[in-house]
Amino acid sequence: MKHWTKLALLAGAVALSGCGGLGTGEYGFSDYGLVRAQRVNVGDGEMSVVAPRPYNRHRRVLFSDVSDVEDWTLNGPILDGISFVSGMKNNKELIRQHRTASQQVPRFRSDMTAPEITAMLESLYRVKGGAVDLKTLSLQPRQFLGANGFQWDYEHLDQDELWRRGRAVGAVIDGKLYMILLDAARSHYYAAELPDFEAIVASAQRRG
Amino acid sequence: MSGRCLELTRRSLLVGGAAAAASLHTGAARARIRPQDMVPLVGPGFKPTDKDEQGLWKDMDRAEEEIAGSNLVIDDPKLAGYLKSIIGTVGGPAAHDFRIYLLRVPDFNAMMFPSGFAVVFSGLLLRMRNEAQLAGVIAHESGHFLRRHMIRAWRDERRKTDLFAIGSMVAGIGGAGAGVYLGDYVQLAQLGTLLSLFSYSREMEAEADAMGVKLMEQNNYPPIELSNIWEQLIGEENASAYYRRKHRHKGGIFDTHPSDASRMVDLRADAEELTVPGKAYDAGRKRYLSTIAEIRPTLLDDQVKLNDPGASQYLIETLAQDGWNGLLRFYEGEVWRLRNVPGDQLRADQSYAAAVAYPDAPADAWRWHGIALMKQGRPAEAKAAFARYLTMKPNAPDAAWVRQTMG
Repeated sequence: MKHWTKLALLAGAVALSGCGGLGTGEYGFSDYGLVRAQRVNVGDGEMSVVAPRPYNRHRRVLFSDVSDVEDWTLNGPILDGISFVSGMKNNKELIRQHRTASQQVPRFRSDMTAPEITAMLESLYRVKGGAVDLKTLSLQPRQFLGANGFQWDYEHLDQDELWRRGRAVGAVIDGKLYMILLDAARSHYYAAELPDFEAIVASAQRRG
Repeated sequence: MSGRCLELTRRSLLVGGAAAAASLHTGAARARIRPQDMVPLVGPGFKPTDKDEQGLWKDMDRAEEEIAGSNLVIDDPKLAGYLKSIIGTVGGPAAHDFRIYLLRVPDFNAMMFPSGFAVVFSGLLLRMRNEAQLAGVIAHESGHFLRRHMIRAWRDERRKTDLFAIGSMVAGIGGAGAGVYLGDYVQLAQLGTLLSLFSYSREMEAEADAMGVKLMEQNNYPPIELSNIWEQLIGEENASAYYRRKHRHKGGIFDTHPSDASRMVDLRADAEELTVPGKAYDAGRKRYLSTIAEIRPTLLDDQVKLNDPGASQYLIETLAQDGWNGLLRFYEGEVWRLRNVPGDQLRADQSYAAAVAYPDAPADAWRWHGIALMKQGRPAEAKAAFARYLTMKPNAPDAAWVRQTMG
């Protein structure tokens, strides 16, 4: 999930796309593509949502990205981002990582409960995003895609000394993880983007 | 070039800077320098008189201002006072001139800046087994200042690179979006690059070691503890590598320590030379443990959630040498749960079950014990564990989820 690696890029914790071939901007290409304000497929296409306004979608980079994870942003990944997980299967990872890396983000397991999923996300922030503190503000049941899911609200202090706030809404359906996640600077950007996020969550549909 | 690329370029710089940062990790001693030969080169209230050093101090004042106001500073008067009292003890002639800051970074590191302020990472507190070890690290860092290593290194570096941009680098620290990155895990933005200007030679590291051991002994700390720290660190690195099925990482903190074992041997020899038979040394173990007692769960939490199972388990077992308790058993369970390879679920469940048998088990141990029981198809016992969790933590942020799960 590129959104989570934004700080890592600043800090050197993880290698990412950005500086090679397509996407550098040097040859007229951008790292981002336009998402129009209409229903669009996200991730590997197992989930679709309605974008309430035009968004910037981070282009997928071969070998760097996980196919069922997609990242959008309005103001750039340092300030805000919405990420989608569109049916991640058992034993898969949210982000590519080296098998022998000392610090790793746990793999997703189909039998994970909500606290296990949120702990997996917390490790992602800490290991790949360099978060030094993360607080759960609330974890509660919530319907998502017609299934019993969860809503996790949290905030984290990152190595750029900025507090960010996030909300993840997700559910495990038929053993696969579906999730939409908002993560933005705690001051201004989180609150500003929350209505969009909620509209996107409400519009989410699984491929029939 | 896109902003991302600029960041990546800066990243490479930072990584380079970190490798050579003026911290505990740099350099290795080739020839042993005898502690008795180490004499402080500065006295109390030292102020620079040379123009270049005065300029450097001015820049460092701005850097210190940024660090002092950082969100990462652990604002705990008890711990701040403790660290101040230690540097005030082992700081030699400059003891009362030093300032010291504790940053919340789950990594082993400490560093001294040219104007006499030191930074200690919270990960260091987790790894120290007693006050003598903490004092040893701080004495080592003080040694760099007392022997004027930073200005020597900087002048040397400037000669080599004709680099005068130090002021603009410091300016960058306070700039918008200044990242933080120091050491292997996190470094203070361009401070990482800044610190690389003060990279120490092996001889300087040997001097700081010798000075540190001497300062320890003079203040009744067992000098051998500085050597013990290296032994513990090597053990941790080996355990971390073993769990990920690889050899100890050659590009890690020991990069600049091709002979870390010999450094340990030198420190041991220093200690033997300095130790006065019959003298009553105090490692300050009880004092240390009681001072960090409140923050220890946070330190453990920060470490374990990095999901570096070898290092975390090594640290937990090291702490458990004083006896297992509910907190340590709980975090042992967390190590297995996060590692999550076949068999780990069972190991985690057993650790949670063991944790809750102790009276000091944290509330979270009961929650994870409840989840484990639920997954094992033991709903009545799970319900009881969850109820215990909610009793211990009535305002738990996940209370709504737990209540629904209890049914």
